[in-house]
Amino acid sequence: MTTTLPIAVPGDQADRLSVLFDTHYDRLYRLARRLAPTADDALDLVQEAFLKAARSPRAVPVGLPGEEAWLVRVLINIRRDQWRKAAVRRRHDQTIGHPSGVDSGQEAALIARATIWRALDLLRPRRRAILVMHELEGLTIPAIASLLGISAVTVRWHLSMGRRDLARALKLPVGESR
Amino acid sequence: MTDIRNILQDADPLRHEPPPSEGERDRLRHAAVAAAADATASAASAWFRAPTALMAAIALIIVVFVAFGSQSWPPGGATVQAAVRFEVRLAEDQAASGLHEARVAGSGRTIYLHEEVVVTNADIERSAVVPGSGPARFDIGVRFTAEGARKMREATANHAGRPLAILIDGDVVMAPTLRDPISADALITGDYSRAEAERIVNGISIR
Repeated sequence: MTTTLPIAVPGDQADRLSVLFDTHYDRLYRLARRLAPTADDALDLVQEAFLKAARSPRAVPVGLPGEEAWLVRVLINIRRDQWRKAAVRRRHDQTIGHPSGVDSGQEAALIARATIWRALDLLRPRRRAILVMHELEGLTIPAIASLLGISAVTVRWHLSMGRRDLARALKLPVGESR
Repeated sequence: MTDIRNILQDADPLRHEPPPSEGERDRLRHAAVAAAADATASAASAWFRAPTALMAAIALIIVVFVAFGSQSWPPGGATVQAAVRFEVRLAEDQAASGLHEARVAGSGRTIYLHEEVVVTNADIERSAVVPGSGPARFDIGVRFTAEGARKMREATANHAGRPLAILIDGDVVMAPTLRDPISADALITGDYSRAEAERIVNGISIR
């Protein structure tokens, strides 16, 4: 008889999920919020990512870096699937079209921010995630490459294209930011 | 030059919105942990939903006992010995004093067994044949008793990254490197034929 596969260790999956959630929730929410149109959408994204981990516990690598990379990739993939459906964008459009309870100055600022955030929706989620991780989270290109399991060259390319697409969408002079 | 970073930072919702409430966080946490518990329960019930072949084997054992009557029972009413001897022991990849050299079946790998037995047949609550990696290959699911789970948890808590030996009838059938402490359940992925898996499961169950 051959014994080629390692033993599977179910252990207490609920305990592991608790630890996984407590360890990665904040980081995952921050990314989700920067990928999603609204805070509610971001919470849904985070929940979906953890539910996937709960249903496929053996797919989640052991160890902090592996767990984080797995969760981040799952979250981006979920967002990609949502992005492909127009419903999410329509809901977002309705939301930003009806700011209420703010004075004119606040409203102008809110609309300006919403316009920028809506422009980000034009980017494919992976490109958007790369832009967000680099520009807002301050991750280096090699760190993003490692997290997403892609080459540094690909990350650099997505960054360049993302900045260009965003500048065009906002009708800004096209320029490179560092 | 347009600085995209400044534009994004200014529009970043995390700068302008309050973080999700603790209630929202708890709701998500509860849903995820409940899903994990459900998944574990489903997997366990799938393991231990008695397969037809297992029920047939048990029925056959009963028929044999009825047919041969008391002559089949050990004299003096002693406990029936397990037909298959199951043991779990901690092991090492390097030889050391007090360890016993053993070869892992089918791999040619040599490991070094600790003297102490962690769990035996007596610590198994149930076992079942589980579909394996191929259409005609089967694994063996083992659920330990509460006492067995405690022994496994304690023994494996500080053994991560080192091998754990599963012995059946004295042979080391597998020696996986431990990733996490084991507690209630284990899956012996031995790539068995159905007949062999059923023989082991039936043998483990009798004690």
